[in-house]
Amino acid sequence: MSRTLGPSGCKLGKRTGVLIKLAGIDIGSRSIEFVLMTSGTHEVLERFQAETSIDLAAQLRLIQKNHSWDSLVSTGYGRHLALKVLGGEAITEIKAYTRSAHHFHQDIATVIDLGGQDTKALLIDCKSGQLLKFEMNDKCSAGTGKFFEMMAATLGLSLDELVAAALKGNKSFEINSTCTVFAESEVISLLTSGISVEDIARAIHESLLTKLVSLLAKVTTAGSSAVLFAGGGAKNSALVTFLAQALDKRVVVPEYPDFFGAYGAALLSEEILNKNTEAI
Amino acid sequence: MSQLTPLFTDDFADFPLKRALGQVAKRRDQGAKVVGAYCSYAPVELIWAMGGVPAILCAFSNVPIAKAEETLPANLCPLIKSSFGFIELKTCPFFELTDAVVGETTCDGKKKMFELITKHRPLYVMDLPQCPTNEGAVEYWKHSINGFKKFLESEFDTTITNEALEESIQASNAKNSLVVEIFAFGAAKPSVITWQEMYEVATYAMVSSGSETIAKLQEIVKTLSERQEKGVFTSKESAKRVLITGCPIGGDVLKVLKLVDEEGATIVGLDSCTGLKAYVGKIEEGSGDPLLAIAKRYLEIPCACMTPNTGRTETLERLVAQLKPDLVIDLVLQSCHTYNVEAVKVESYVRNDLGVNYLKVVTDFSAQDHGQLKTRIGAALEMC
Repeated sequence: MSRTLGPSGCKLGKRTGVLIKLAGIDIGSRSIEFVLMTSGTHEVLERFQAETSIDLAAQLRLIQKNHSWDSLVSTGYGRHLALKVLGGEAITEIKAYTRSAHHFHQDIATVIDLGGQDTKALLIDCKSGQLLKFEMNDKCSAGTGKFFEMMAATLGLSLDELVAAALKGNKSFEINSTCTVFAESEVISLLTSGISVEDIARAIHESLLTKLVSLLAKVTTAGSSAVLFAGGGAKNSALVTFLAQALDKRVVVPEYPDFFGAYGAALLSEEILNKNTEAI
Repeated sequence: MSQLTPLFTDDFADFPLKRALGQVAKRRDQGAKVVGAYCSYAPVELIWAMGGVPAILCAFSNVPIAKAEETLPANLCPLIKSSFGFIELKTCPFFELTDAVVGETTCDGKKKMFELITKHRPLYVMDLPQCPTNEGAVEYWKHSINGFKKFLESEFDTTITNEALEESIQASNAKNSLVVEIFAFGAAKPSVITWQEMYEVATYAMVSSGSETIAKLQEIVKTLSERQEKGVFTSKESAKRVLITGCPIGGDVLKVLKLVDEEGATIVGLDSCTGLKAYVGKIEEGSGDPLLAIAKRYLEIPCACMTPNTGRTETLERLVAQLKPDLVIDLVLQSCHTYNVEAVKVESYVRNDLGVNYLKVVTDFSAQDHGQLKTRIGAALEMC
């Protein structure tokens, strides 16, 4: 990730004239990511994550009360509500990820985003930053972050423990169910048959991996040597390792993969601000 | 901007199916036999020729699906499940009006569903050849149409003469060319016709024929010409233009079209069997063999059940040149294997040969994928 987005907290870089603050908010099904950065230098002033609450409007009003910005763009499933509560503009997370990817990793054309509720694969024109194609998972939780959460719960593990177990496990069998609910019963029957938790954890990862690989295959062009892996799912180190092996490509994970949408939104808010300023 | 003159000013404005039901019921009250059909391949000229009226039985409501799934598998096309569920619940007003039903073998799911509804109505299933360019395909299809003719004659104790067929062919041609003329207004930029209006016209023309219908369609052409002349638009100049192609649409699956509206884009064409598809192509008049003329025209319908289905790409080429869409949305109903697989070729053709953005949407009649569809349609439009 670019050094301007390092974990520098509120430390400001060189300022010339007035400080213009750009805000990006990504409201997903599982969590909200908010980022505040300076215009021009893109230094991060603030970055935080919170669970998406049931009363999203109240949560957004609180964010508005505690922060100020000059331009804001919302993305994610809650973007339409955010537009009403916070103003600014709303874009799809696909556009936000495209913007982030082109900003931070201009050399990589293929992006995979593993989120809580859906998975997306993007193909970007490295020169222009234009999105050329995108694919999303079917309308089902298989192949998403939620799948991991449910499988970990079935095994009585935390997410970190599930990842650690998978790295120790062997690739000895497959989980066949494509449905999260049925996969859960399959895992329970595997447990009762005496198979090790490590091997089951590995099989759970392989099951999700198959879906990521096939989604990526729909957008990948010949000759691409690297894949950018973003979204909360990219924090799963086992999955990153297995994905690199399966694709035989370099898998690059940005420093804050779960903030990728929020960063993209903040960067786009700068473009909107510039456009509006020009129009005056 | 001047006020938009509505295309229909009757009591059924915005309720195209209720209007169609009214049309069918009116004819029935006048003594016409009602023949239910499930597909654009059903040669309605035979029904008109015997003084009957067709009723379209394809259903697009999510409501009866739970009932249908008591009998049919869940992973089946929602159109089949919805149509069947309505029959089981006896709540399909169109089916309740029918005296007989005609089916066709376009789709495996429908074909087997027909076997389950034979107990309710006299039913004739037409065997449709699915390699339309193979030797003998047209002749075979003519035999199927003749079988349907004999069924109607025996069921309703009537004779369908060649003269009556010729008359209904001429009436269909006149009506169809007017519907095509109306859909051509989709080319206007900014738009002068909405997709809701296109859908209303297509639904109205499906169950109507004769001088009254021709007059109504001519009036609609006039209204649309006036909109164009006076600059009365239904979209913004900057609105992105979307062409819908794929499976038949209506009712609850119109959610996809509504999402396009929500994103501020304008739909400029409906390339499906509930849109323009059923009205394209002329039946040869005065050929001396009306059944063969009908067979030829119907076999040209570019349904994904056909192989090769070159008509699909030819249609898209023509519509893209005419309507200049920024995005083509290929709408596939869940478990419709032919449209789903054909999408591979359609995507490549639209993207690479026509140079237009493309989005495939596989969906059913439920609202479960609303959020995801909104993101996908929104992102596809952002790309334009």
